[in-house]
Amino acid sequence: VQPPEKPLQAEEWNRLRESFRSPEIFEEVMFNSMVRCNSPIDVAKSLLTHVAKSNGDVTYNLLVKYLALCVQQGQTSEIRDVYDIMKIRFKILESGAYNLLIKGLSNSDQWRMALTLLEEVKKIMIPSRTNYESCIKAASRHQEMNLAFELYHEMLAKDLVPTLDVLQALFDFCRGVKGAELQKELFGILLYLRDNQIYPHKTFMRSIKLWFESIPGENWRGHLTNIKDSGLCPVCNHQLEDSDLTEEEYNNLRERIIKDVIHGTDTFRKTSPQEFEAFQTFVENRLPFDIVIDGLNVSHIKPRKMQCENLFDAVNCLAKENARLLVLGRKHMLGNSSHWKREIMKEMQNKADFFFAENISEDDAFLLYATLQSGKHCKFVTRDFLRDHKACLSDSQTRHLFRKWQLIHCVKSKKMFLSVFIQQPALRYDCVVQTTGDTWHIPYKDTFDEKYSYRVPRKWLCIQQK
Amino acid sequence: MQSANVLLKRIVRSSVLPFAAQHGVKKDLFPLRRTLSLSLCMKQDNSCNPSEKLDLDAWKKVMRSGLQEEVSETVSESKELSAVAAARETLEMWRLAGRAVPENISEEQLKTFMECPSKSAKKKYLKYLHLKELYKKNDKRKLEEKRERRLEKEQASKTDETKKTSFICLWDSSMDRAYNWRVAQSMVFGQPLVFDMSYENDMSFREVANTVRQLVLSEGCNRRSVDPFHIHFCNFKDDSLYHKEFIKHYKEAWSKLLITVTDQCYTEVFPKDKLIYLTADSPKVMKTFDHNKIYIVGSMVDKSIKTGVSLARAKRLGLETAALPLEKYLLWNSGAKNLTLDQMMHILLTLKDTGDWKKALEFVPKRKYCGFVNKPVHELKKTLNLINTLKFGKRQEEVRKQFAKSYSKKLTQK
Repeated sequence: VQPPEKPLQAEEWNRLRESFRSPEIFEEVMFNSMVRCNSPIDVAKSLLTHVAKSNGDVTYNLLVKYLALCVQQGQTSEIRDVYDIMKIRFKILESGAYNLLIKGLSNSDQWRMALTLLEEVKKIMIPSRTNYESCIKAASRHQEMNLAFELYHEMLAKDLVPTLDVLQALFDFCRGVKGAELQKELFGILLYLRDNQIYPHKTFMRSIKLWFESIPGENWRGHLTNIKDSGLCPVCNHQLEDSDLTEEEYNNLRERIIKDVIHGTDTFRKTSPQEFEAFQTFVENRLPFDIVIDGLNVSHIKPRKMQCENLFDAVNCLAKENARLLVLGRKHMLGNSSHWKREIMKEMQNKADFFFAENISEDDAFLLYATLQSGKHCKFVTRDFLRDHKACLSDSQTRHLFRKWQLIHCVKSKKMFLSVFIQQPALRYDCVVQTTGDTWHIPYKDTFDEKYSYRVPRKWLCIQQK
Repeated sequence: MQSANVLLKRIVRSSVLPFAAQHGVKKDLFPLRRTLSLSLCMKQDNSCNPSEKLDLDAWKKVMRSGLQEEVSETVSESKELSAVAAARETLEMWRLAGRAVPENISEEQLKTFMECPSKSAKKKYLKYLHLKELYKKNDKRKLEEKRERRLEKEQASKTDETKKTSFICLWDSSMDRAYNWRVAQSMVFGQPLVFDMSYENDMSFREVANTVRQLVLSEGCNRRSVDPFHIHFCNFKDDSLYHKEFIKHYKEAWSKLLITVTDQCYTEVFPKDKLIYLTADSPKVMKTFDHNKIYIVGSMVDKSIKTGVSLARAKRLGLETAALPLEKYLLWNSGAKNLTLDQMMHILLTLKDTGDWKKALEFVPKRKYCGFVNKPVHELKKTLNLINTLKFGKRQEEVRKQFAKSYSKKLTQK
């Protein structure tokens, strides 16, 4: 339905209502379309008046919808009036109304009301992150930075993930403000980005840069740059942090993988204890390997070729560099079939070690184990992103370690021509926000929403103190 | 006491309010307003546009007026809300805002609601309760309609004399006796069918409840079949969640059921080489139904896709496994290949009686497959091509041909 352009009289509303398909929900539908078309609130008011006069009451539902319209148009006094009415009518409100009220009031000069509302919400539930976002933005807009940071910390304590918008607002409103305390808080935000592997987008990055350059008397300079593959920053010649895991992290990851991925709730789900033990002794006797190959995965690279030929090409290519290879496969590869020729398999076994798992076992788990057991220099070859195994890990910290380790240790093989394998050089430096005290290096995303989560940004912001 | 208070308050509020509001409106506002607006109208009837003679904020006065008395009563007594009461209030507000929330909620459900770990979990639970309530209401309505219809009919046919028939009316109880006799026979001579009841820890509460429901259904259809299985519930622990749910369903009849319930494992009850574990993850496909084997079905409802749980169990015990030949007989469309327990029961019973896969696999839900692979493969290919030329025109025919080719290849490989 199209909402009318001018306020209507009761009779006119009645006529409209009767011509509507289902008169019971006429008011709701009408209000929805008013919100959609952003109708003048006078029209909405006239409908409310009509409803109030004919029913002696306006339902909560309609009030909320009217509120949405008011918030949309920033009608502060109306918002207050609706709030007062709701307050008289109902003991508490539900989250939808609170969201609207907080959003509406925080954008007005009565933003302190939004804070009291936030307190009210806290009594009955955990406020949403957008509730906090509105309040924090309102506080910082009015230069109450302490209050803003207080709310920010409160939000983190409740395990809510702040939006990038909030963080950006904090940087924006602190621009040019002096204060050691504030500076510490903002550095804290940067470290939060580091800990959670969040990359700011372009506009956020610009806010960070401007804030740094606005600190009076400290003389920060920011430059946009691309970091070289070696990890050297071309602007300040600073070497970025190494991407290797520390000894402790590495051991931790290995243990978690054995515990969560291979054994999980039941060892029998992915393998069997006997088989795993056999594999362990097999690996123990031949350590260390340089490259571990996921045989079945590699054998499917070129669908037109015979599967064992694909694998043969890969093994040949990698064996040239005098590396110790381990190929993982399943028992069915040994049977002489249309895709697996016995002679070729024999020939391959001279060049690399092979381990064949049962046909119903998961070979990926073995891949991870063999690579981790061989040590830090060992790489593995697969096109699989191993997401399902990552998901088996029980805590996010280990999952992050896994991803970091996977990024550097996964040799992605791109077969350009017949049998040429190009090894993509893995990143040598760690792609997170980092600092040395007088320099900051911040990776950022070019667009607002990066499509692929596994891609790390290549663009950096280099900030140094002169 | 507290809940009674809340109830009382609600009744008072809901019944008095509209009355008070109307009352207030009529008494205080209308007479004044009417005269005012009337006179206004009279004066400027033709000249003014409609928005000017409307009092746009009238609704606010209406909303505020009828309420003063009630507010003064409630404010004083309930300053602080307890957590339970607050939750109840929130639910009420959500309902007013038009969300999927049940009208009535019991203390127990409220507690479960409050224990939900996240907002989305809460929302999901409420929606579930809401739908349950809706279904219940609908059923009740239908039942009443039916009763009314029956009453009308009876009144209409009251004049008729009772007819005499030469058949005895077989009542439910005598049917039951006949069924029970058959099941009792199967307990002595019948082929065993094992339900493995060791998955309680792999399931949520709702999943266990669903499992038991499916088991009750399967037991029912087994009882009514011509040649029932001898059902075994193995690994069944007393006072487990399964047990509690069963008692909820069967009440006293639980102890009179003609099935074997044991806490032993099936490997202790039966010789190992006769057991076959049925699981969708099995690499082996069942070819025929073997009357000398003992089939095991895992009593598990798996909503969160835990692949390989039952296969792992069979592997651990070194049992033979098998999967139904769904791919071989059905053109699979979508959906997981694990079937519900009562569907399994229907399929196994039909196989046992007839050995006909086509008949047995009729019990696979229709939404999951496109049709039966009943003809030789090349004929199937032809019809598929024909259908697709009709459906998509010439260009896409090529693509479909490719698909049919690869599909037939897959079939011949097996």
